[in-house]
Amino acid sequence: MSIYVRNFLRFCIIMLLQLLILNKITLRWWLQPSGFPIFIPYVYPLFILLLPFEITVPLLLVLGFITGITMDTFMNTAGLHACATVLIAYLRTNVLNALLPKNLSEYANQSPSIKNMGWVPFLVYGGFLILLHHIVFFTIELWNLSNVGYLMLKILASSVTSMLFIIVYLLLFTRQSGSRG
Amino acid sequence: MRNFILFISRFFNLILFLALEIVCIVLISRTNSLQGNDIVSSANAVSGLMYKKQNDVVYYFALRRMNDSLLNENARLRTQLSFRNSVDTLRDTTVRKVLGNPDSSHIIHYADYHYLTAHVINNSVSSSNNYITINRGTATGVYKGMGVITGTGAVGKVVNASAHYASILSILSMKQKVSARLKDGTYGYIEWEGDRPDVLMMKDVAQQVRVKLGDTVFTTDYSFFPSDILIGTVYRKDALKKNNMQLLYLRPTVNFRNLQYVYVVDNKLAMEKQHLEDSSLKSKQ
Repeated sequence: MSIYVRNFLRFCIIMLLQLLILNKITLRWWLQPSGFPIFIPYVYPLFILLLPFEITVPLLLVLGFITGITMDTFMNTAGLHACATVLIAYLRTNVLNALLPKNLSEYANQSPSIKNMGWVPFLVYGGFLILLHHIVFFTIELWNLSNVGYLMLKILASSVTSMLFIIVYLLLFTRQSGSRG
Repeated sequence: MRNFILFISRFFNLILFLALEIVCIVLISRTNSLQGNDIVSSANAVSGLMYKKQNDVVYYFALRRMNDSLLNENARLRTQLSFRNSVDTLRDTTVRKVLGNPDSSHIIHYADYHYLTAHVINNSVSSSNNYITINRGTATGVYKGMGVITGTGAVGKVVNASAHYASILSILSMKQKVSARLKDGTYGYIEWEGDRPDVLMMKDVAQQVRVKLGDTVFTTDYSFFPSDILIGTVYRKDALKKNNMQLLYLRPTVNFRNLQYVYVVDNKLAMEKQHLEDSSLKSKQ
């Protein structure tokens, strides 16, 4: 499969997964302390995380914007998702450069994955960007700092849960031999 | 000029990034007013169709719950019907309701409400402004600004309508306050603090107003809802020392997690009222 088709299919799969299934799952870690936030896991930034290594930053930004606006259209949050996603798309190259031993241009025709990065670097890469995405998203969504504890709890709980869902996605959709399908 | 082009090409990434973020921020700030959000909204044809297809699949799982709620509502309506026999209870019914405040001029005795049934095809409770998408739009008479209720209470307001879909801002929203009334007639407003879908707050109730736990709270004529629609019941009250008010915590009577059917309320006189209020606001400025 060409790299364009593969990424387009991945975009569709992730979006359908997010919009049709994950958006319907409203999660809460504990029921009893009733101030505990409820949230839905966001897996769609994974599309930005899994784009090929050698993609240029402008294209990355545009793709991030498109991903975010698609989410916004479906969830009635004009610009919120797009704002957070464009930010992580902008920072992706820098994070990858900091984490990988070789230059990015040496990974021709490859995408970031657990196999060619290793578990720990990939989790740091994904975890950092997801956390950043959630911080920006929930801060703008709530837009008041009177209840910082609640905001931080919501960010922490939902980014950990999103990471769990992302790991499950990767385990499910990664082919054991050859490149990602 | 050459330097300028060099500058652009050097910082092209940063400039593009900032430009996209500014676009996003403009969109967000447009939405944060109650009027905004007509550019990107789930009432458009594509997302509406997708949610509808999904709902066609999921619909069957909720049938049992829906049957129960419809039965309860039927029972309640039958008791009400026994008091006034003149009302026709067909699907889209028109109700002429006598207004609560009779005036001596006898000009307007009743408000004309037209109830339109609609099916919820998408719903959320977890964000700080929750939207509901329904499968009925301007082609079948649902327009921006109409109130939306369900069998058990008030739901929200239509903020956007395309030909066949409409999106509703539910009262679980931080940017929408709803005028409300206690059982004894004290007016106030309902707010949502943005986290728990089973807690609403009623602020600015004077302390001398006697409120018992379990008291019901209704909508008023001041809002886009018809009056006397249930909102919730008081389950906790806090006295605020600093401004001598009390803060009431309500349990909404509507279960927002499993909304299935809603009624869109078309108030025939609302447009006239809105027009009048707008024009008086304008003349004040």
